[in-house]
Amino acid sequence: MALKPEYLGLLSLVILFGAIFIGFPIAFTLIAVALGVGYFALGDIALHLMTLQFFSVMRDPTLASVPFFLFMGYLLEQSGLMERLFRGVQLMLASLNGSLYLAVLITATIFAAATGIVGSSVTLLGVMAAPAMKRSGYDVRMSAGTIAAGGTLGILIPPSVMLIVMGPVVGVPATDLFAAAIFPGLLLSGLYILYTLVRSYLNPKLGPPLPMEDRRPFAYVVKEVVLGMLPVVVVILATLGVILAGIATPTDAGAVGAFAVFLLTLVYRKLTWAKMKIAVMSTLEVSCMILLLVAASNYFGAVFSRLGSATLIAETLLTLNFSPTVMLLIMLAIIFVLGWPLEWVPIVLIVVPIFLPLVNKLGIDLVWFCTLVAVCLQTAWLSPPVALSAYFLKGVVPDWDLKDIYAGMMQFMVLQIVGLLLILVFPQIALWLPAYLRE
Amino acid sequence: MDRPPEAMLKAIAILDSISLWSGRIVAWLIIPMVLSLVYEVVARYIFDAPTAWAYDMTFMLYGTFFMVGSAYTLYKKGHIRTDSYYGAWSPRTQGWVDTICYLVFFFPPLIAFLVVGWDYFARSYAQGERIVTSPWMPIVYPFKLAIPLATLLLLLQGLSELMKSLWAARKGEWL
Repeated sequence: MALKPEYLGLLSLVILFGAIFIGFPIAFTLIAVALGVGYFALGDIALHLMTLQFFSVMRDPTLASVPFFLFMGYLLEQSGLMERLFRGVQLMLASLNGSLYLAVLITATIFAAATGIVGSSVTLLGVMAAPAMKRSGYDVRMSAGTIAAGGTLGILIPPSVMLIVMGPVVGVPATDLFAAAIFPGLLLSGLYILYTLVRSYLNPKLGPPLPMEDRRPFAYVVKEVVLGMLPVVVVILATLGVILAGIATPTDAGAVGAFAVFLLTLVYRKLTWAKMKIAVMSTLEVSCMILLLVAASNYFGAVFSRLGSATLIAETLLTLNFSPTVMLLIMLAIIFVLGWPLEWVPIVLIVVPIFLPLVNKLGIDLVWFCTLVAVCLQTAWLSPPVALSAYFLKGVVPDWDLKDIYAGMMQFMVLQIVGLLLILVFPQIALWLPAYLRE
Repeated sequence: MDRPPEAMLKAIAILDSISLWSGRIVAWLIIPMVLSLVYEVVARYIFDAPTAWAYDMTFMLYGTFFMVGSAYTLYKKGHIRTDSYYGAWSPRTQGWVDTICYLVFFFPPLIAFLVVGWDYFARSYAQGERIVTSPWMPIVYPFKLAIPLATLLLLLQGLSELMKSLWAARKGEWL
C-alpha cells in the first residue's frame, strides 16, 4: 500500500469530522476512527494502545478533579445557596442604577469561581435574576446579554473544567492555566460591569433603581450579607486560593471544596434528599460525557501522532510564511468558527492538538495560547445563531424573545472581542500571575 | 402510532433499566471519592500523618466512576453529538443515520475493546498484579475489570439504542 502514514492521518481527520458533523456521539466516533485507521497502519499495537490510553486516563490524578468540581457546582446550584448570595448583593446595591446587572455579574463571577461549566450557570442566573429584572422594568436585551455573558464566565474562570482538560493536552500544568485565566476572567467581568453601569447611568431607563418593596432596612442587609454570602464566598475563594498558592493539588482542593459546600448546605438546611440525588446523578452524567471523550481522544491522539500528520500540517502551514501573529490570529479564528457547531470538548481535545506542533514551532507561549483559546471558546457560547447560552436562557425565561436575547448577546460579543484583543496585545494579563506564583 | 412487538419493547425496557441502575449505583461513588480525599487532606495537613491508601482509592474509584457510568450517560443521551444537521432531520433520517452509525462506529470497535479489555484484566488477574509505585501496593485487577465491565454495559445500551433507531428509521417516529 503506497499511502503514506501522514496522508492516512489526514484521511482519518476527514472521516472523523464527517462523522462528527453527521451527528453521531463524538466519543464513539473517535474510538472507531482511531481503531480503524490505527489497525490499518500499525496493526495489533492499535488494539493495545486502546486499553493503555483508557487506563492512563482512568488513573490521571488531575483529571480526577473533574467530578469534584462538577459536584461542587451542582451542590451549590441545587441547594439554593447561590440565590441567597444573589439576593445579598442585590439588596446591598438596591439604590444604584443598573444594580441588578451588577448583582448578576458579581454573582456570576463568584459562581464561576466555584463551577467549571456553563450550562448550569446561565440557567441558574436566569431563574434568579430574570423575574426581578422584569419586575423592575429592566431592558430585556441588556438583561438577557448580562445573564448569558455572566454565565459563560464559568468556563473561563478557574476551576474551569475546560482548563483542567486542556492542561494535559498541551503539556502544561492545569494550575498554570488556572493562574493565567484569573485576570482575563476578571477583565471580562469588569468590562461587562463597566458597560452595563455606564449605559444605565447614561440612560436610567435601561436599569432603574429597584422599587421600594424590593429594598430592606440597612441592618437586615448587613445581616444577609454576613450570614448568607460570606461563608459561601469564603469557601469558594479558599478552594481556589489553595490551588493557586500551590498548597494543594486541584484534586485535593476540589474534594475538600465539595465537602465544604456540602457542609454549608447542611448548616443552612437547604439540601433535600431529592436535590442531593439530582446533584449526584448530574455529576455522573457530565463527568462521563467529558472523561469518556478525553479517554477516546487520547486514544485517537496516540494513533494520530504516530502517523505524523500534525507535523505535516504544521510544516505545510509554515511554508506559507505568515508572521507568528497572523498565524495565531488564523488559528484563533478557526477555533472560534468551529466553536459554533462544536462544543469545547472536541475542540480542546481534537483541534488544539492538531495546532500544537505549529504553536511550538512558532515559539508562541503555550500558557498564553491556551488562555486565548479559552477566551475564544467562551466567546463562542455567546455568538448567535448557534449560541447554547441563548437556548438555556430561553428555556428558563420563555417570555423573552429569542431575537432580543441574541441582540443582547451581540453587545457582549463586542466586549469579548475587546477583551480578547487586550489579552493579545498585552500578554502579561495572562502571564503575569503564573510567573509571579512560580517564584 | 404503530406499536412495536411486545418482545422488542420488553428488551428495550430491560436494557434501559440495566443502564439506569448501573448509573444509580456507580454515581454514589462520588461520596467515598470525596471522603477519602478529605480524610487524606486532614490527615496530611493537620495531623501530619498521610495515609497510604487514600490516593489510590480515590483514583480507582474515579476511573471506575466515569467508565462504568458511561452506559448511563448513553441512555440519558448525554454523550455530546453535533446537532446542527442532525437536529434538523426527520426522525426517519435520524433513525437511519443512527442505525448505520451504531453498526459501523459503535459495535465493531467496542466489541474489539471488550475482547482486549478482558485480556488486559485477565492477565492482571493471573499475575496478581499490584501497583508497585504506591506504598499501599493495591491489587490492580478489580480496577482493570472496570474496562470490560464498562464496555459490556455500553454494548447492552447500544443494543437498546439500535432497536430504537431502527424503529425510528422504519416508522418515522421515536419510541
